[in-house]
Amino acid sequence: MRVLVVEDDADTSLFIAQGLREFGHEVVVAHNGRTGLEKAMGDAFDVLIVDRMLPELDGLALVRSLRGENSTTPILMLTAVAGIADRVEGLNAGTDDYLVKPFALSELTARIHALARRTSGRADPHRLILGDIVLDLHRRTVERAGRRILLQPREFALLAELMRNSHRVMTRTMLLERVWDFDFDPKTNLVETLVSRLRSKLNEGFERDPIETVRGAGYIMRVD
Amino acid sequence: MFARFWRSTSGLVAVVAVGFSLATLAIGFSAYEVTHEALEEQLDHRVANETAALLTEAHADGISDLADEIRLRESARSTASLEYLLLDSSGRTIAGSMIADSAVKEGYEEFFRYHRAGTRGVAQALATPVPGGMLVVAADRRDLIEIDHTLATLFMGALLAMLIAGISSAALIGLATQRRLERIETTAQAIMAGDFTRRVPRDGSGSEFDRLAGVVNQMLERIGSLVANLREVSGDVAHDLRTPLTRLHNSLDRALTETDAQVRTQRIEEARHQASELLEVFAAILRITEVEGMAATLPRPALDLSDLVEQMAENYRPNMEDSGHIFRTQIQPGLTLSGDRRLLKQAIANLLDNSLRHTPPGTQVTLGAERKEYSVCIIVSDDGPGVEPSELGRLLQRFARSERSRSTPGHGLGLALVAAIAAAHGGRAEVESNKGFRVTLTFPTAASQSWAAQTARQELGQPHEKA
Repeated sequence: MRVLVVEDDADTSLFIAQGLREFGHEVVVAHNGRTGLEKAMGDAFDVLIVDRMLPELDGLALVRSLRGENSTTPILMLTAVAGIADRVEGLNAGTDDYLVKPFALSELTARIHALARRTSGRADPHRLILGDIVLDLHRRTVERAGRRILLQPREFALLAELMRNSHRVMTRTMLLERVWDFDFDPKTNLVETLVSRLRSKLNEGFERDPIETVRGAGYIMRVD
Repeated sequence: MFARFWRSTSGLVAVVAVGFSLATLAIGFSAYEVTHEALEEQLDHRVANETAALLTEAHADGISDLADEIRLRESARSTASLEYLLLDSSGRTIAGSMIADSAVKEGYEEFFRYHRAGTRGVAQALATPVPGGMLVVAADRRDLIEIDHTLATLFMGALLAMLIAGISSAALIGLATQRRLERIETTAQAIMAGDFTRRVPRDGSGSEFDRLAGVVNQMLERIGSLVANLREVSGDVAHDLRTPLTRLHNSLDRALTETDAQVRTQRIEEARHQASELLEVFAAILRITEVEGMAATLPRPALDLSDLVEQMAENYRPNMEDSGHIFRTQIQPGLTLSGDRRLLKQAIANLLDNSLRHTPPGTQVTLGAERKEYSVCIIVSDDGPGVEPSELGRLLQRFARSERSRSTPGHGLGLALVAAIAAAHGGRAEVESNKGFRVTLTFPTAASQSWAAQTARQELGQPHEKA
């Protein structure tokens, strides 16, 4: 995956670039908004990581210019403040996701993987299938190996999100945003509790647990 | 220079005065012209009428009879200011006492100069040929000129009065405005010099200046409370972060001197954990600050509050059950509120987090939402141990923690954020502890602006109460 990182802080951009290269991605770094925009327009990238505050051309203006040129490259915005205003402004400007600094590298990689995947086309199918699990979004039913599993609405939403992003790490924060619609981290371990409830319902009578816990990162759903 | 002058009140009034004067001048000039023309026309008319009358009377008997008529009229002086002259075909005077200063031509003559018995005059004249000579009837312009003069004097006087009134009112209004604004200026300068208690004096008249003074005072109250708040917060932050920073420092110190690699890694891990906790505290402080600063700009679309609260109940039910709490809801259907969905969710989440963490298993926790007369409320209550009444007042402030919650982890920022979120929505948070603990978030509904304004005023009054 080719990633363009537009970030003026040398430490942060190095931290991101090294981290992504370890995952085998190709990383191009721009240190101000203007060169960032030039590089983004002149070359093809799978994902852009853009800081909100940049010299010469700020992050929001960069995103607006790109979107004005009909670029559809997914953009993740990094913000330094608590992010409420940026959430509203950034999403209006055309960013696809945002991440508040400081962040863990695992969070960043999980998010750009999800972003790159989101644009790889494919409209939402009505049925999500993973191994022996079939989830029907219209009828709101779940079956495992043909056996009907009854889930609470929130459990259903969690399973759908995990299946939609199968074979990718979903972090706690990503799940909180997408399943709970929270942009904050509650003090109560809602995610862990719901995952454990989902697991017990999904795995009752089965050997294999399709939901894997990635320590320090999140959850991943997969079949071998 | 001029551009700057007319921006001042005096300048503005002066410009208006000059405008009015110019208008007066224009009106005066045209009135003068119209009157003048009308009078001239009237003179022409008189002359023509008189000529016609003379000709009719002398029709049968020719020029000598005409001369008799003229003499008769002149001796009677019945027609004031009308002059007559009858000339024969060679230009000699047959009758009439006036003497023309120039040659007489047929037709109207506007400025007909003549003299008679030592006086000179200008008249409007009509020369009409008659058999054997020329009849001239003239009306002196003396009256016309006099009226013209009077009119001109009148208009010039009006113009002068207008200019004087305009310029003096410009000066007076400018002076009055300046004097009133000086009170605000003096106050502002005193505040800049450091006296934050100064306010603009009000005269209670409700005039625009009095209202301005009122608004400025309100603004000063708000700034004052923000400054006080800022001082308090920076103090709190410094105080409350010193302890965890010291711990972090010590962990790193111990890691440095540690010789056993495994223990050393453990120490560093410890330090990392402490650092991430500190970052969390900073994130929470930043969020509170941002929410507080967003009150005016926060986008607030209308949302289904009943549904939102119901969802939050559903989110927390599994954890409530797992921890042995009895979780109930009392949510009125169909409640709406204009607000930020995620911030409202966070407020409710913080309250439910608190209930879960600070009450023992078996405690009943109730999440409710209801409509009041001019507001909607979100209520989270429990029948747990509650807090000391003396602690209630401080509970909504940053880093406030009740004695009972000392043993559980937390930074005392959750309720402060709840209060900030309520305030950003024009509402307020209230805490009670009679039996158990209860937090009520009250949001004014759109139809109760006055209520919101009242609340705002109450908030403005707070710094004084504290002092």
